[in-house]
Amino acid sequence: MKNKLIRKIIGGLSLTSVLFVFQACYGTPQDFEPDFRIEGQVKSKSTGLPIEGIKVSIVDYMQYEFTNDKGEFSIYTVINNDMRISFEDLDSTNNGSFLNRDTLLTNIQDNIYLDIKLESK
Amino acid sequence: MITSLNRIGFRLFKKWATNNHELNYLFWECTTRCNLNCLHCGSDCSKSSLVKDMPLDDFLAAIDTIENPSSDFIVVLTGGEPLLRNDLEKCGREIRKRGMRWSMVSNGHLYNKKKHMSMLNAGMGALTISLDGMKASHNWLRNNESSYTKVMDAIELAAGSPRLNFDVVTCVNQRNINELSQIRKSLINAGVKSWRLFTIIPIGRAVKLTDLFLSDNQFVELMDFITDSRKMVDIDVKFSCEGYVGKYELKVRDSNFFCRAGINIGSILIDGSISGCPNIDRSFSQGNIYEDNFNDIWQSKFVNFRNREWLRKGSCTSCSEFKDCQGNGFHNWHDEKQNVLVCHFEKTKNTTVCQQAI
Repeated sequence: MKNKLIRKIIGGLSLTSVLFVFQACYGTPQDFEPDFRIEGQVKSKSTGLPIEGIKVSIVDYMQYEFTNDKGEFSIYTVINNDMRISFEDLDSTNNGSFLNRDTLLTNIQDNIYLDIKLESK
Repeated sequence: MITSLNRIGFRLFKKWATNNHELNYLFWECTTRCNLNCLHCGSDCSKSSLVKDMPLDDFLAAIDTIENPSSDFIVVLTGGEPLLRNDLEKCGREIRKRGMRWSMVSNGHLYNKKKHMSMLNAGMGALTISLDGMKASHNWLRNNESSYTKVMDAIELAAGSPRLNFDVVTCVNQRNINELSQIRKSLINAGVKSWRLFTIIPIGRAVKLTDLFLSDNQFVELMDFITDSRKMVDIDVKFSCEGYVGKYELKVRDSNFFCRAGINIGSILIDGSISGCPNIDRSFSQGNIYEDNFNDIWQSKFVNFRNREWLRKGSCTSCSEFKDCQGNGFHNWHDEKQNVLVCHFEKTKNTTVCQQAI
């Protein structure tokens, strides 16, 4: 709290608002972007077994990952009010054949865990 | 009046930040292997580095000693070429689990669509890729005929991400100083929003190649180019924090010069050494994670970094700008440390031609 107050006072005196944003000569920019982790597991609705190879996509950000052999996925992405996540079975009949599914997440504040069950075709 | 106020305010800020020495930015030299053999490499890396990559667990044990890491704490993966490690995603996720951010400096060669996606998914928040000229001059410096094409592909990929804090860095040298406008145009076309320019100092492999170093006149041309480019809205162009540039301060950067090595910036080097930035002379090492508690070293050592009065020597002895410059970037003090390797301020004064925008 004390540090924050001092930051404001010094920032005002020096007439610049970027005192606390910096990057080393040979480093990267800093990262202040609010983001969150969306993770979960995809299983077969009929058998309850995990499904490998399902494409999990954050539709608006063209970000995706395929589920591992435990049906798990984990993606860090930017926070948005509404976020559509799609689950697609693209590998034909490998690991079974499942219907695609979309999920809409709203008002996301923190990391989230999804337990997804896909219906067989 | 405003300039004087700004200077006074900034000196106060530096004093406060130095006393506080909050660690915000930690380099991790996670490998010294590299898939390129650049002419200017400050690390002197090689494809067949005999030094093994630092195991992730060793690094994690070191950062786990940090008590109450700052809210903006970031780990910057550097090398060598970090993408040569096959456990980068795991490294990133472990860092994020600790509530810290992570980023990477890369030559872009291995940064393809698949890698881009897996890095983003693992929580990478910032990325810097090097582009050192148009095709011929970039490939010359990178010592590789296919480098330019690969790097431009990587740049387009990274620039297209709404998540990444992405910038391109360019080492300005004799071969590319006259191409800066072209490079700027190609970066804007690729969607790049941020471009950082720096010069090369005579350390590592660069010592032997005089083509790499700008004359004083060329350095002033560079300052003028950046000053002009900062009036553009398409791209944010800036000079790196490598040195104090006198009258160009605030014209070429968002903030005044402040070398934060050992003040807000630390590093864990490949052999476990604890220091400021990785390009700083390794004799400045303050301890080693294999023998010392990292947090204890950060809190109690780094005296030479946090009190720079000892740098009032050589050409800095009676310099009128010392209070604002404080011996220039710390990486400019090497070997016997009797004089600053490069004085950027001196370069800005030595120009003999009319200043012209490139």
